[in-house]
Parts: sequence; C-alpha cells; structure tokens
Amino acid sequence: MSAARTMQIGVLGGGGFGRAIARACARNGHEVTLWSRRGKQLPAIEGVRITDAFAGFERAEVSFLAVPSPYVEDLARELGAGLDGRHQLVHVSRGLIGEELEPISEALRRVTPCRRLGALAGPLVSEALEAGSPSGAIVGTRFPELADGVRLALGGEYVRVYDSRDIIGVEFASAMVGLLALGVGYGLGVGAGPAALAVFLTRALREAGRLAPSLGADPATLLGLAGYGDLLAVVAGDERPETRLGRAMGQGASLEAAATNAGAHIEGVQIARRLSAHAKRLRLEAPITDTLLAVIEGMPAAQAMRALMARDAGTE
Amino acid sequence: MKLPKFLRSNAVSKFIGGQPMRLPRLKPYVPKPDDPTIFWFNSERKDIVREVVDRITARHTVDRRRMELALNDAAFHETRRLESQKDAEAAESLGYWRGLMRRIARMSDDEKRDALRDIVSRMGHDVAGNFDPRVYAFSKHAVPRLLTGVMRPSSLPEVMPSGESETVIERLLRVEGEVELLRRLEKKGTLVYVPTHSSNLDSIVLGRALEVGHLSPVIYGAGKNLFTNPIISFFMHNLGAYRVDRRVQASLYKEVLKQYSQVMIERGYHSLFFPGGTRSRSNLLETKLKLGLAGSAVNAFANNRVNGVDRDVWFVPTTINYELVLEAETLIEDWLKAEGKARYIIDDDEFSRVDRWVAFFRKIMGLEAACVIRFGTPVDCFGNPVDGEGRSLAPSGGTIDPGSYVLRQGKPVFDPARDAAYTKDLGDSLVRRFREETVLMATNLVAHVLWRRVVMATPGLDLFARLRVRGEVSLPREELEREVGALRDKLVQMESQGLTRVNTSLHDDTPAELVARALEVWNGYHTRSPTTDLGEDIAADDPSMLLYYQNRLAPLAPDVVTEEAHVEAAREIGVVGAIR
Repeated sequence: MSAARTMQIGVLGGGGFGRAIARACARNGHEVTLWSRRGKQLPAIEGVRITDAFAGFERAEVSFLAVPSPYVEDLARELGAGLDGRHQLVHVSRGLIGEELEPISEALRRVTPCRRLGALAGPLVSEALEAGSPSGAIVGTRFPELADGVRLALGGEYVRVYDSRDIIGVEFASAMVGLLALGVGYGLGVGAGPAALAVFLTRALREAGRLAPSLGADPATLLGLAGYGDLLAVVAGDERPETRLGRAMGQGASLEAAATNAGAHIEGVQIARRLSAHAKRLRLEAPITDTLLAVIEGMPAAQAMRALMARDAGTE
Repeated sequence: MKLPKFLRSNAVSKFIGGQPMRLPRLKPYVPKPDDPTIFWFNSERKDIVREVVDRITARHTVDRRRMELALNDAAFHETRRLESQKDAEAAESLGYWRGLMRRIARMSDDEKRDALRDIVSRMGHDVAGNFDPRVYAFSKHAVPRLLTGVMRPSSLPEVMPSGESETVIERLLRVEGEVELLRRLEKKGTLVYVPTHSSNLDSIVLGRALEVGHLSPVIYGAGKNLFTNPIISFFMHNLGAYRVDRRVQASLYKEVLKQYSQVMIERGYHSLFFPGGTRSRSNLLETKLKLGLAGSAVNAFANNRVNGVDRDVWFVPTTINYELVLEAETLIEDWLKAEGKARYIIDDDEFSRVDRWVAFFRKIMGLEAACVIRFGTPVDCFGNPVDGEGRSLAPSGGTIDPGSYVLRQGKPVFDPARDAAYTKDLGDSLVRRFREETVLMATNLVAHVLWRRVVMATPGLDLFARLRVRGEVSLPREELEREVGALRDKLVQMESQGLTRVNTSLHDDTPAELVARALEVWNGYHTRSPTTDLGEDIAADDPSMLLYYQNRLAPLAPDVVTEEAHVEAAREIGVVGAIR
C-alpha cells in the first residue's frame, strides 16, 4: 500500500458525520463523491462532488454509509444493485436492526453482494473530523485490506485508525455506548456525582460483557476503543447528541422534546427496548438496560435510582 | 461381539508397511471422456503430491528463521506424540525426530531445506489417496447387497444376484434437494459438499446418495483411525479418500492437508468436508465450524483466478438426517462427560461393533426414508446462491462475477488473510443453511415433546439434575399424540416458509403412526431406551437419549410451541441451540 495512492471514495449521507468524513477524505487527497437525497441543496464541500444519484459509486473502492440505521438497509439495497464483490462498504451507525438486534454488517451482507464490510466506531466525532483536531477511531472488519483502506482514506496526522477483526463486537460496543451515553447525560441531568457515574458505567460494561456473546460479539472488544475508549470520550464531555438527549430528559423534558433538542437520530432509545427484551428472552440479567428503558418510558429519576441501588451488591 | 482381533489391530497394516492395500495393475486404466474427474486421479497422483510438496517447501524456505521454526515445530510435536503413543510407529520414527531436534541448530541451510522437503514429502505421500475404478465398480454393486445381507441374512441367497438389494436401500435412503442442478454444475466447475455429521456411517451413505443421484464420486479426508481396519481402509483408500491423522499436531502436516485439498480442488476434483470437524456429540446442528479445509476451497478458487483459470467452485450445504443414529448412546454420553471435549477420536463405539450394526440395520430395515440426505442449494465461495447455469446471483436478482471478490485495484490477487475472512463469512452462512435444510424425523418430534415435559416437570433444575429424572415423567399416549400432531402441523407450516424441512412420513402419517414409528425404532435398539411404553402412558425413560434426539430441533423450540403452558420450557430449550 502506497501512502500516496489516491482512492475513489463514496460517502452516503449528508448529515454532520457524512459531511465530516467526506471533508476528511478530500483533505487526504482522495476523490470523494458524497450522496444525499438533498443532493445539490447541501452546502458545497471543497474537493467533494455532491450528488443525489448512485451513478459513479461503482468506481468507489470504499464507500462509507453514514445514515441512521433505520435507513441503512433500503439505501444499501438500492446502492448494492450496482455493486459487486470488489466494493468495500463501511458503515458508521450505532444501531442494531429489528427485534433480533441484527448487526448492520449482517444486513449489508443480506441486501448487497458486498462482503468486504466494515464498521467504523470509537470516539471520533464529526467536530474533530471537520476541524482536523487529534482523534481516533476503530474499524471492525474481518478484512485487513479494508482496514488499510479506511486508514488511507481517513487516517493521517490527526486521526489514528485502529482495527479489530471482531466486527460484530465493534458494532455491539458502539450500540451499547450510544445507549450508555444517554444514561450518562441523564445522570448529569439529575445531578448524579462522579462516583455514581463511575459505578453506573463500570457495571454497565460488565452487563454488556454478559450480553455480548449472545449476539456473537467478543466481550473483550468492549474494553477497546469501540467500547471503553468511546465511553471515556462521553465522560470527558464530548457533548454528543445522545448525552444532550439524556441530559434534557434528566432535567425534566419529555422524550420528544429532548430528541428535538438533540437534533439527531438517537439509536439508543430503540436499542434499550430491544436489548431488554432480548436479555429477558435469553434469561440474561440486564438491570441497567432495563432501568434505562424504564427511564426512557417515563420512570421518575428517584425511582430509577432506587431500583438500581436496592439491588444486592455482590463480588465483582 | 467385536470384530476379530486381526481386523481391529494394526497387525495387517503393519504387515503391509502401514500403507493401505491396492490391487495390482498390469495395464494403466485409460479414463473415458465422460468419466468423472476422479477417474484421472491415479495418472495425476504423483504430480499432485509433488505440487503440494513444492508449494509448501517454497513457502518455508524463503528464509532461515521460517525454515527452523517449521522444523522445530514438527520435531517437537512429533516427538511428543510418539512418546505418548509408545507403539510400532513410535519405535520406528521416534529416533528420527529426536535426532532432528538435536541437529537443527547445527544443520546448514541446504540440510535444513532437504530435511524439510523430506518431511513434507513423507507427509504428502501418507495423506494422498488412490482411486481404482475396479474397486469403485465393485463397491457400487456390493455395498447395497452387503447392507441388505446384514439386515436380512436369510434373504442373502436371493438378493445377492438380483437387483432387489438396490431397491431395499433406496427405500431406506431418501435423496432429495438439488440433485439435477448438481448434475449440471459438476460438469462446469468443482463441487464441495459440506454435510452435517452425525455418524461414521455418513461418508458411506453420502457415497451411496451420490450414486443414487447419478453424481460423481468425491474425495474426502477420513480419520486415520478408520484406516486401522484393513477392509474399510482398502475401500476408503481406493475410492479416493485421503488419510487425516488427527493426532499429528505439527503445523507442517496441517499445511499439507490444506494444500492437498487446495490442489485437488484447483484441478477440479469434487470434494467433501465435514465442516463440524467431528460427529456432533449432542446431535445439535453444528454452529461452530472448523473451516480449515473449506478455506482451502476458497484459496483454490482465488489461486485459479490469479492463474487465469476460470473454474468455479460451489459449496453444497448438505444435511444427513437419521431416524435412528447408530452411535447415539456413545455420542451423547461423551458430550455430557465434558461437553464434547472428552474424546475427539472415539474408536470403540457402536461403529466398531458388528452386533450393533446388525441390530441397527435390522431396526431401520422396514422403514421408508430412515435416512434422508438433502442436498441444499449450492452457493459460491462467497455465500451467493447460483442459478441453473452456475452463475452467482446478487440479492438484487442480477448475476455477478465471483471473480470480482478476489480483485484488488482491478487485478485478481491471492490473499490468504482476505480468503480467511471470506471463509469465516461462508461458515456463518452455512450454519444458517444447515438449519433451513435439516430434515426433521418422527424421533426428533416425539423426543422433543417428551423432553419439553421433562423440563416442565423439573423447573429450576440444571441439565444434569434433569438427566437423573428417569421414568418419573410420563404422558398419556393420546396427549403425546396430540402434542406431536400440533408440533408436526407447525413444522409443516414452517417448511412451507422455507424455515426447515420435514421427512415425508411427517406429511403422510397420522400423529399416532408417528409416535408408533419413533417408539418402534428406539425400542430394542438402544440399550438405554428413550421411552417405555406403559400401554396407556408413555414414560420418558432415559432423558439423555431424549435430549439427544430432540436436540436436532432445539433451536426451533420457541418457534414451534403452541400451548401457553409450554412456552417457558420451550424458551429454555431454545437457548441451548441458538446460533448467535
């Protein structure tokens, strides 16, 4: 792999993260096409071709899918009709699909002929990408060449891109962090102190470790950039939409009002309900997920806190 | 009754120098144009082994460190194995390996290279099979007759010269699925059959199923333990089976096996792997596949593309489904002992006992479709289904070039790391396909209904406590029949949605007949019977056997439950066999 190689890169999704990826790739000297349903109505980005058609994406070596999970499947199906085995797809979603909590990568495998798939996760946020401030990410993929491609596309002076073979683990960790960021925001909103947040997150990671194998994920992946690393960024105050939504709810806003305030599609809200049902189905203990679900559904903060604090504390 | 000692021991194989026997040939067989690829094998055998040896030697002799590592690894593992084996092979070879271990550090590069080539060459010759068209022609006619003879010794004089034996076997063995498509595809590319594995009979019945379906014979790796019986060894060796010695841990040996398989597939030899690696001890469908050999098929496809050879490779997910499993008792016992890790190689089970064979075949003899082989829709190396012409199909319905999966920046490249990732993906899709292609039998249904009752009657108990509940749970026959009927209806409905398959008897028989069929099959064959017929009631007698037979449909348990009171137990059962 030559560092100077110019790649054709596709980005799908004109939201904040999609635009930031397009800008970062263009800054690295690649030829970037950004697709959005809004097409040319999007503000221009230097060095990026913006379009509302899929024509030309068959030339893209790597395409990033940066749309919320409910839209990924339909979009990928449409896009995939023009692709084949040579194309690499990387999604950035924090979602898991349907009641079965299907990882997005599996849905991509189902609806497209592409097999070289990856999931981008970790503490990388659009603001850092846009501004070119130091940050890092992890790409989950079974394909070393895809990891190299993402590194070449996005990595460089400001962004360190690590990789993990446990793509499902990365997707699960990313989804869990989406949910837990909401919990952290909520805790901050109701005035929980550092110790309460520390206990909450540590036990939440342990809970995620119990759930991970049931979804085909390796619990160890939770301790890397996709899980623990990303949570540290949440706690350090990266002010992501999930945290904003949780804080607004903690301060008494309704879910709808808080979601509007957060200004982005929050995957964690849906994940809580499905994950809680999944754990019940498999008889796995998931008190934190259950409590977060109850909070989302309107349980008062004091009651939620009591529910968690009243549990027996055992050996770690 | 066991096999006579001279057939069980290594005495004969020692006499013939440890190599399986071959028939003498004065004149080489010249294959006819419409003979299957494997008929060419003997003329290519030497060349194939040489290619395997060349490739592996070249890979390891690029630098001194790599060469030393391979030699050290082989010497270490072989010394350790032979020291614990303490048999004739140890007496013969241990000295060589110990000597090598001592010498490696002092050897020149040329000596190391020679030693490595010599080791790989010996391994290659040990692995490589043989194909004798005369043995093939003989076994094609003899196997059904012999099996019929085992089942009905009194009728032997009449059936031996006639064709009746074929009819008996064909009634017993049902072959279904994509047989016609496979017949077309085997002429266009290479087929790799990947079946579920329940019994040592699998390779025999699969071989017969290929004959019944007029499909070409295949090559496959057979455990070296099966070669210790010289008669079985003779047939296996001369019908293209290659020898896999699972005791050998040296990484060079594993490379030889994979490379042998890769070269064979590159050259168009249809192959068979049991991706579960060993017989399913629990009778659960395989969820964790050993993909080393499947990977060799993906590598073969990629390597051919790199060399400009446009030969497709298709995987055929296949399920082998038995009403009665010959080795059920040993297998479940082994699983329960250490959840399958106790004995990877079992060489003293029902398969090695003639009396169990006779009892087994007599039991299933009168049954129609007591064993169902189902050939599923073939997929390319990347999990895409194929059309009638073998073209890979994308989810959009259009065709795609499988060669596109091995392109990098527009050129086909060989990349083992990439192909390992494809193989892992393929393994995941095979696991799902096994579930869809499994054919459920009456014994699976009856066992499931009774096991569900055992679970309901023992809330909160763990598996082992449950297995001690012998004969305490019983069910009025009518109730059992009603529940089996409801389960059958649900499964038939799921079959129409493509979620699973059921045996023909499930369509044709009444619930009472299904229950009777299962009880009749079990009773008198298994020494630990799953059920006892008390007249009005049926008692769950040996829960471990019920568990074994019901495990085939365990993952479906939550989907097939129809009564509210059974839901909780069904969920608990379903957790055991879940895919993810």
